[in-house]
Amino acid sequence: MSSQSEAPVLRATKLVREFYGFRAVNNLDIEIMEGHIHALIGPNGAGKTTVFNLLTKTIPPTSGNIFLRGRDITRMPAADVARQGLVRSFQISAIFPSLTVLENVVVALQRPAGLATQLWRSRRALNPLYGRAEELIDSVGLSAWATRQAGELPYGRKRALEIATTLALSPDVLLLDEPMAGMGREDIDDMVELIRKVAKGKTVVMVEHNLGVVSRLCDRVTVLARGETLAEGTYADVSADPRVREAYMGNGHA
Amino acid sequence: MPVAANSKVIWGSNMFSYPIQLIMGQLLIGVINGAFYAVLSLGLAVIFGLLRVINFAHGAQYMLGAVTAWLLLRYLGIGYWPALVLAPAIVGLLAFVIERLLLRRIYNLDHLYGLLLTFGLALIIEGSMRHWLGAAGKPYAPPALLTGVWNFGIVIVPIYRAFIVSAALVVCLAVWLLIEKTKIGSYLRAATENASLVETFGVNVPILLSATYVLGAMLAAFAGVLAAPIYQVSPLMGSHLIIIVFAVVVAGGMGSIMGAVVTGFALGILEGLTKVFYPQASTVVIFLVMALVLLFRPAGLFGRDVAASTAAPALATAGKLSRKALVPIAVIAALFLLAAPFFIYPTFATRLLCFALFACAFNLLIGYVGLLSFGHAAFFGGSAYITAHALKIWGFPPEVAILAGVVLASAIGFIFGILAIRRQGIYFAMITLALGQMVYFCFLQAPFAGGEDGIQAVPRGMLFGMIDLYHPFALYYSVLAIVGLALAATWRILNSPFGSILGAVRDNELRAVSLGYHVHRYKLGAFVISAALAGLAGSLKVITVQIASLTDVTWQMSGEVVLMTLLGGMGTFFGPAVGAAVITVIEHYLAGFTVPAPVVTGGLFVICVLVFRRGIVGEIIMLLRIRGGSKTQAKDAATSPVHV
Ligand SMILES: Nc1ncnc2c1ncn2[C@@H]1O[C@H](COP(=O)(O)OP(=O)(O)O)[C@@H](O)[C@H]1O
Ligand SMILES: [Mg+2]
Repeated sequence: MSSQSEAPVLRATKLVREFYGFRAVNNLDIEIMEGHIHALIGPNGAGKTTVFNLLTKTIPPTSGNIFLRGRDITRMPAADVARQGLVRSFQISAIFPSLTVLENVVVALQRPAGLATQLWRSRRALNPLYGRAEELIDSVGLSAWATRQAGELPYGRKRALEIATTLALSPDVLLLDEPMAGMGREDIDDMVELIRKVAKGKTVVMVEHNLGVVSRLCDRVTVLARGETLAEGTYADVSADPRVREAYMGNGHA
Repeated sequence: MPVAANSKVIWGSNMFSYPIQLIMGQLLIGVINGAFYAVLSLGLAVIFGLLRVINFAHGAQYMLGAVTAWLLLRYLGIGYWPALVLAPAIVGLLAFVIERLLLRRIYNLDHLYGLLLTFGLALIIEGSMRHWLGAAGKPYAPPALLTGVWNFGIVIVPIYRAFIVSAALVVCLAVWLLIEKTKIGSYLRAATENASLVETFGVNVPILLSATYVLGAMLAAFAGVLAAPIYQVSPLMGSHLIIIVFAVVVAGGMGSIMGAVVTGFALGILEGLTKVFYPQASTVVIFLVMALVLLFRPAGLFGRDVAASTAAPALATAGKLSRKALVPIAVIAALFLLAAPFFIYPTFATRLLCFALFACAFNLLIGYVGLLSFGHAAFFGGSAYITAHALKIWGFPPEVAILAGVVLASAIGFIFGILAIRRQGIYFAMITLALGQMVYFCFLQAPFAGGEDGIQAVPRGMLFGMIDLYHPFALYYSVLAIVGLALAATWRILNSPFGSILGAVRDNELRAVSLGYHVHRYKLGAFVISAALAGLAGSLKVITVQIASLTDVTWQMSGEVVLMTLLGGMGTFFGPAVGAAVITVIEHYLAGFTVPAPVVTGGLFVICVLVFRRGIVGEIIMLLRIRGGSKTQAKDAATSPVHV
């Protein structure tokens, strides 16, 4: 499907996360290959979001290790993980509600441009970033909303904005947590195209409930249940696996 | 700490006290203080667990317990034992009224409002009691049954003190059993985690909320009655204690009942022992422990993980105002400020400017970073002391003295920031409050600061060797220029690339982190800037009023600046200055009035929190925006900065 290479760009070993004694992620081993679009699926509460939180160091693991391009990032602060090119989106849209749509994207552009710590310069110093911000907003179809306050956007648009901010960092590993949730059919098609486009030369891990999307888009699928890997392989492999079918049926998914 | 005055009673009967007796004596005092810390932090933890309100009125409720016992005896002849039940019941009733009428209205708002509301209530209760009964302590005899001592040779234990410790332990155990072992307790714990869940089980959560607040207040009152016979019964007995208890709670972590009790006793004992080995440090040792715990275990000794929250602080602010509306306002304000000394007493006008700067400095944090600092008096007062000393003793010129103050304030701010910045919301407020109190104790004891007298008759000097600040107009315009420059700098910082990241951090911290921003560094930067500006305000104030005193470093001063900002409009650029002016004027006119000032301050707090959260300027902006037909309706939860 795409340019395969053998090195895992992101790898976790024996990853564990407990919440008050409850193991949300249990001894998980996972490898994400360079250049893949890798889906993480599983019933609600399986621990998918928690895995994303762990991989990006949004929360610390109880035990286990995480490697980014072979480098152990288990103890690295979340902000530094992002600076290493591993950037995520959130399941519940994470935007800056009091800033405008454009400003949201500009905030993401500021750090790479070295325009984040100046105290004495006017905000006009940020003007050169607006061109790029407009392009990004255009790519997710938000041009018409550019000067609106982000907090006022409808749900689906907030998701799109979050993707645009994530892309603004041009990360080489993208973790997208349910990027299509709450979107209409047409928007989903657009988003699939967008992900396909941005995934060129990058690695994408996405949590996705829409199995149609997964089958169209993803090179590899990991099925998670109760914090453990239930199955892993191509979409055809895992969808044929009886345990996967059972796990999904048991939770009311098709 | 509170038993210090009585400590002689314990081992004083043997003035050749051997070290072991000294140690045992202080240990006993430590255990007793620890008992009070334990019961009070238990009450705080129970209330916080369910209501998510940090009950600042806890100290006042403790005091009310003691005062009620005293009143019952004095006016109704009701003795200790009935009072041990009656006084908590009466305070509990008051707590019920408070919960129903006031607290209930703010559960859906940011938790910080709970702290502000109960802070106001504490001021009202303590202020009116003080007005009514006077500040002097009143003796209250222990019950006849419990007088006398047990002599164990190495330590003489007054029976009443042994009773306090046992009673505290019994109460703690009872509360622990109630919460861990009963059905009500399990509802309570469940509701703490998820209120809607419990409601589906059919438990009436509103009643649970009332009951919990009443229980917490009754615990405090019970501690108050226990305390009545060994401390003097006084309206102020709870106000210092509550801040120590905050430090205990922060050190122990809010998560666990056992944690609160164990930490309470342990820190009481540690404090007692410090009194033996290094008495100068005994007032601050608990705060130091809190600071160390924060460095190495930010969640507290028994606390759970520091929860990462995506929720933005939802303090009420209005929206932005257009430039067109801004210009005429700015022109009027500038003309007014330039003409002010011609119709307002110039020194008074200068003082207004100082407080306006102070409030703006504070607002930089709450309004633009979403952090409520309850320790800003440390920067204001700390800088005031250093400037005063530099002018009076070192003979520095004013500009150097001011600089010295600002440098010190920034340094204190940096230390506070390192310790507090990893915690958010309510914890940040409590930590800064406790650290501020530590600074207060340092200045209380530092020889150069002159104790209760402070540093008086501070010379003003010649600014830059040419402007004679003794001339009231010269003083006013110099301070106006400095304050104007400081505000211009603040404006620039807020509207810089750095400022735009600050706004993002305030809006959604987790998202900012995931974009690669080290948010703590941004917050720390903002905190130090805010501290420096508060310090500048303190220095200017010293030059204006020529006195640096303990008032400048008290938590009441920290509370004052919170009120100024709240009243003027959090997150509006000029609101805090307006609030500062209003409060200063009110207090000026109140000086010759019968209503005690803390009651008025407390009342304003309560009113602002309940019905006036946008503050004066915030409301004006809303009016202008509505009249201007602005499409974007600002909500309470919207947190956009207002550039007025
Ligand atoms: N912060 C948290 N505190 C307590 N439990 C949590 C927390 N985050 C997730 N969990 C629990 O971990 C499990 C996995 O959650 P999550 O990773 O969100 O699942 P998914 O994204 O697969 O739906 C759930 O049972 C959830 O309740
Ligand atoms: Mg999820």
